[in-house]
Amino acid sequence: MTLEGSPASSHVVDTPALTLENVSAGIGPLTILHDLSMVVPARKIVVVLGANGAGKTTLLRTIAGLLPPRSGSICLFGEPIHGRPAHLVTRAGIGHVPSGRELFPRLSVADHLELAGKVASPSRRTEIREQLLEMFPVLAERLRQPVGTMSGGQQQMVAIARALMTDPRVLLLDEPSTGLAPKVVLAVFETLPVLRAQGVSVVVAEQSLTLGLSHADEAFVLDHGRVVLSGAASELAQDHRVIDTYLGR
Amino acid sequence: MLAVQLLINGILLGGTYVLIAQSLNLIFGVMRVVNLAHGSFIVMAGLFTFWLSARTGLSPLIVLPIVFVVSFVVGALLQPVLIEPLMNQGRRAELLSLMVTFGLDYVLVQIALHVWGADYVSLPYLQSTWTFGAITLSKALVVVGLFAVGIVALLYFGLNYTSFGKALLAASQSPVGAACCGINVRRVRLFAFALGIALASSAGTLLIMILPMAAESADNLTILAFVIVALGGLGEYAGVTIAAFLLGLAQSLAGYFLGGDAANVLPFVILIAVMLLWPQGLRRAA
Ligand SMILES: Nc1ncnc2c1ncn2[C@@H]1O[C@H](COP(=O)(O)OP(=O)(O)OP(=O)(O)O)[C@@H](O)[C@H]1O
Ligand SMILES: [Mg+2]
Repeated sequence: MTLEGSPASSHVVDTPALTLENVSAGIGPLTILHDLSMVVPARKIVVVLGANGAGKTTLLRTIAGLLPPRSGSICLFGEPIHGRPAHLVTRAGIGHVPSGRELFPRLSVADHLELAGKVASPSRRTEIREQLLEMFPVLAERLRQPVGTMSGGQQQMVAIARALMTDPRVLLLDEPSTGLAPKVVLAVFETLPVLRAQGVSVVVAEQSLTLGLSHADEAFVLDHGRVVLSGAASELAQDHRVIDTYLGR
Repeated sequence: MLAVQLLINGILLGGTYVLIAQSLNLIFGVMRVVNLAHGSFIVMAGLFTFWLSARTGLSPLIVLPIVFVVSFVVGALLQPVLIEPLMNQGRRAELLSLMVTFGLDYVLVQIALHVWGADYVSLPYLQSTWTFGAITLSKALVVVGLFAVGIVALLYFGLNYTSFGKALLAASQSPVGAACCGINVRRVRLFAFALGIALASSAGTLLIMILPMAAESADNLTILAFVIVALGGLGEYAGVTIAAFLLGLAQSLAGYFLGGDAANVLPFVILIAVMLLWPQGLRRAA
C-alpha cells in the first residue's frame, strides 16, 4: 500500500507493476508454465482466469519466488526479481495470499500481523494495522485467538491482512473465494477496489468467470500454462471465446 | 514421605527428559527431520564433559556453556551440508533425512569409540545427598534436573516471546506462510538445527552427572527421546513436556518398586502399549 499522491507517483505511473517475459516454470521434469508473458499495470485489478490445473497457482508461486522460473524474466516496477528467494520477493514489495492460505494455526491474529509487519517500515506498520482492523473488525475482536480455531472466512481475512501488513506494492491472491460462503466471497472481492485506491496493484487467480470478470479491470485467461486470451475484463465478459476455452473447445 | 521423595525424583528425572525430547522435537518441528544422530550428540557431549572435567578439574556446570557453544557451531556447520539440500526434495526428504542422520549417527559413534573408548563412565560430581526430614534427595539429580528445566524454560520463553522465536514457530507451522512474511526460512532452519544440537549436547553434559554413559548408549538415548516425542505428539511442544514428566515419574516409581531393569525397559513397554492402544498417539486419543 503506497500512499497516494506521493511525489514519485506521477513519475512511475507508466511503469507496469509486474512484467513477465517468456517465463517458463515447472516442478521436477514437468514444465507447467510455457513461455508465459503478461503485464500487470500499476494500480489495476487483474484477474487470472483458468480451469482446474490451468497453472494459476504455479504462476503466482513463480512470481512470489516460491518456484524459481526456468527461464524468462519477472520485473517488479522495472526491477528484476526472478531468481530471488521468496522472502526477498516479499520484502521487495509483493504480498501473497497463497493457495491453501498457509496460516500458522497455533499463532494468534496479532502474531500474524506482527510477523508480517516486520517487512513494513515502523511508521507504516502501525498505520496499516489500524486500517486493517478497521477493514476487518472481526479480527480486531479476535486478536488473541489462534487462527486455527477460526472459521474459513475469518482465516481468509487473516491471510489477506497478513499479506497487506508487508505493505506490498503488488498483492497476489490465489482463489480467495475457496471454501467461503457467497456473501463472504463478495466481501473479499469488494475490498479489492479499496486497495487499488490506495495504490496497490492486485493480481487475483480465480476459477469463476463471472466473479473474476465483474471485479477486475483486466483479465488473462490461462490454459495449460499459456496465456490464451487477455484484455479488458469488460470486453472479455462479452467474448464467447473465453467460455469456449473453459469448456475446452 | 516415600511417595513425596519418589515424586520429586520423578519430576527431576522428567526435567532432563524434557530437554532430551524437546531438542529432538525442535528439529523435527522446523525441518520434519527425525534426527537419528540425536543420542550420539548427547553421548559425545557427555563423554567430552567427563574427559575435560577429569583432565582439568573443571566443574561440569562450567563445561556446560562451552559444550553449548561448540555444539551449536557444529550443528550450524552440519546443517547446510547434510540437511538443507534435502529440504527441496519434497516427499523424499523424510526417508533421505533418516538415511543421512543414521549415517551421521554411525560416524559420531565411531569417533566417540575411537577417542574415548567403549567403557561406561560417569562423573563423580555432587555425590552427597540433601536430607529434609524423611526425604533424601541426590544433590546431583536436583542440580541436573533444575538446570535442565531452566534451559527448557529459556527455550520456551525464547520461542514464545521473542520475534525470532515467533518466526521459528511460524516457519515450522507453514514454511510458505513464513516466506510470505519475509522470514528467511533457510536461516530459521539453520538456527533451529544448531539450537537443537546444542540443547541435546547440553543434556549430555548434565546426564553424565547422574547416569553412566558409553558410546553405545547413543541409540538408547535416541530411542528414549523418540518415545517421549511420539507419546507427546511430533511437533507438539506442550504434549512432549507432559509426556517427559510422566515418563520420569513412571520410571522413578518403577525403579523403586520393580528395580532398575524395569525402569530401563519402561519407555519401550509404554511405546508398544500406546502404539497398540492408540496408534495415532496420545494427544489424539484424549
Ligand atoms: N507439486 C506438483 N507436482 C506435480 N504436478 C503439479 C504440482 N503442482 C501442480 N502440478 C500440476 O501443474 C498443473 C498446474 O497446477 P496449478 O495448481 O498451478 O493449477 P491451478 O490453475 O492453480 O488449478 P486449481 O484451480 O485447481 O487451483 C496441474 O496440471 C497440476 O497437476
Ligand atoms: Mg490453484
